[in-house]
Formats: sequence, C-alpha cells, structure tokens
Amino acid sequence: MADAFLESARDVLEGQIDFEGQRLAELLSTAMLATAGFLSFVVGYMTQNIQLTLWIGLIGAALTLLAVVPPWPSFNKNPIDWLPPQQGVSQLNIEVDGKKVR
Amino acid sequence: MHSTLVRAQTAFGFFTTVAFCVAALIALSGFVSPQTPSADIKLRNVQVVRGRPNYYSTKKEEYAHIKFDLDTDLSTLFTWNTKQVFLYITATYPSLKPSEPPSSAIIWDAILASPSAPWHQNQYEAPGTPDTRKSDPEAQKAIAAPGILHLQNQRPKYQITDYTGKVANRSDVVLELGWNVQPWVGALTWRGWSDWGVWKGLKGGRTERFGFPGVKERVKVQKEDLGTAKGGEGNRGKPA
Repeated sequence: MADAFLESARDVLEGQIDFEGQRLAELLSTAMLATAGFLSFVVGYMTQNIQLTLWIGLIGAALTLLAVVPPWPSFNKNPIDWLPPQQGVSQLNIEVDGKKVR
Repeated sequence: MHSTLVRAQTAFGFFTTVAFCVAALIALSGFVSPQTPSADIKLRNVQVVRGRPNYYSTKKEEYAHIKFDLDTDLSTLFTWNTKQVFLYITATYPSLKPSEPPSSAIIWDAILASPSAPWHQNQYEAPGTPDTRKSDPEAQKAIAAPGILHLQNQRPKYQITDYTGKVANRSDVVLELGWNVQPWVGALTWRGWSDWGVWKGLKGGRTERFGFPGVKERVKVQKEDLGTAKGGEGNRGKPA
C-alpha cells in the first residue's frame, strides 16, 4: 500500500514524458520564449512604453513554463513498446560460496 | 527534457538568454534616437561672502553665491528607455597656478524624472507643475513633456568655495549646463558639446565669462539675497 503510493507520488513528481514529447517540449520552449522576447521588444518600441516590454516578456515566460514544465498528456502520446522482461535469468543456477542463490 | 525538473531548468535558462538579448536591444535602441538638446543659461547675480563651512567650525571661508536664469529644451533626452536625467550646473574657473587644472563646482542640480518613472520625493518639480504625489492621472499627464524648464532668477542649491577658501575676485568663471541620462537598461550617458552619430551636441548651455566680485561686508548684505533654494527643492537629493 505505502509502496504503491510512493511509486505513484514519484511518477507525478518526476513527470516523465516520452521521446516525441521531449522533442515537442524543446521546440515549444524555444519558439515560445523567442516569440515573447521579439514581441515584447517590438510592441514596447512601437508604443514607447518599456513597462509593456517588461510585462509581455514576463507573461510570455510564465506561459512558456506553464506549457512546457508539467507532463501534459500530449507529451506522452508515443509511449515506447519495451520488450517484455526475459524469464531466462531465473533458470540459471548461481552459487555464492557453495550456497545456491537462485 | 525527460523530467519536470530538467524541463523547468532548460526553459528558465533559455528565458535568461532571451531577457539578456532584449535588454541589449533596448540599450542599443537609444543610439538611433536623435537628440537635439538646447539650453540657454544666463548669469543673474553673483556675490561673495565670508562664512563657515558648518555651524561649529571656527574656520572662515569665502563662498560664491550665484543666481541664474535657465531655459532648456531637453525633451529629446527622454526616450522610452530613459528613467531620469540628472541635470546640473557647474561653475568652472581657472586655478591660480597655470599648472593646476581648473576648479569646477556644482551650484544647482535637479532630478528630471521621465513619465515612466514612479513618483519619488527627490524628483524635481519645476515651478508651477501640479502636485503629482496624488496619483491623479490628469496631473501625471501634465508632466508628459519633461525636460523643458524656464527658471527665472533661480537661487543656487549650493554656495561654492574651494580648498583655498578664497574665491573673491577670481576671473574667467563660466557656468555650464551638464547632465547624466540614466536609462532603465544600458549605459549612462553624459552631456556632449559635439555631435555623436544622430546625437547633436548641446546648443548653448554656457554663459559668457564673468568674474567673482570682492567680499561683501556683512552689514551690507541682505540676508534674503544669499539664501539657497528653499523648501522642497532645496531638500531634494538630500537624504532625510
């Protein structure tokens, strides 16, 4: 019971995503942050208002972190089909100091 | 990018890069915005009196008390990246020995805030500007054109002397306007006399040469003629 709970808690905290999701997250963070930076400068310069630059930049960064950091389901759409665990090992006879371990 | 922590670190790391690049662009944007500052400064009155450097001092020194007129148009110094402009007037006069550099002392200064800067008690309010302490949007709009000053017979903020303690009868004194533009992001820039790119040098901003008179006898001097700037303006820039 406690083990299962800890296991699920670790899954949530680690927030692992699959390889396709990692590629997508990388692309998203780069594109969104670069766009926010570019927009913040252009809008601020056009309106001659540096506070607008600051806030567009900060809000853009916050949105990017929100979009990229949590393990959203869309980052886990291509799970890997791992091979099934092999049973061969259990057939081996392993002896340590004359005692049979398995 | 496989786990939450790694994604947070990567995204935040790239955010700092973007923030730095935007800041660099903002800092550079000031150099393509033309500046055409002009100013007219006139000597109104100068008196030299004997006084003490502080209340407890027994040393007597000579102090020059200079009144002036100032008309400026520094509105082009205020771009979107300007936080405030520190404006000052120096009195410069040659030393008695030719081998020594001239003496230069500030007689008056002011902090001209840009409209984007929050109100602070040390900021200069030109005579007649409405009270911006109340965050009244109408009053805030009234200071939307900063850098334009018209001062008549302005008292100095500082009476000046130098290490010799003697400034009477000095000649070739010049009053000069100077400033220091303090941006939100980027390098500080100072007043220039010559053109630099699209930044024109300061037009005017310098008086004719004049001399300090002899020491006035105490009985003859009217006390009110020798006051420095009083009230809010006199206290601005001094820690409470």
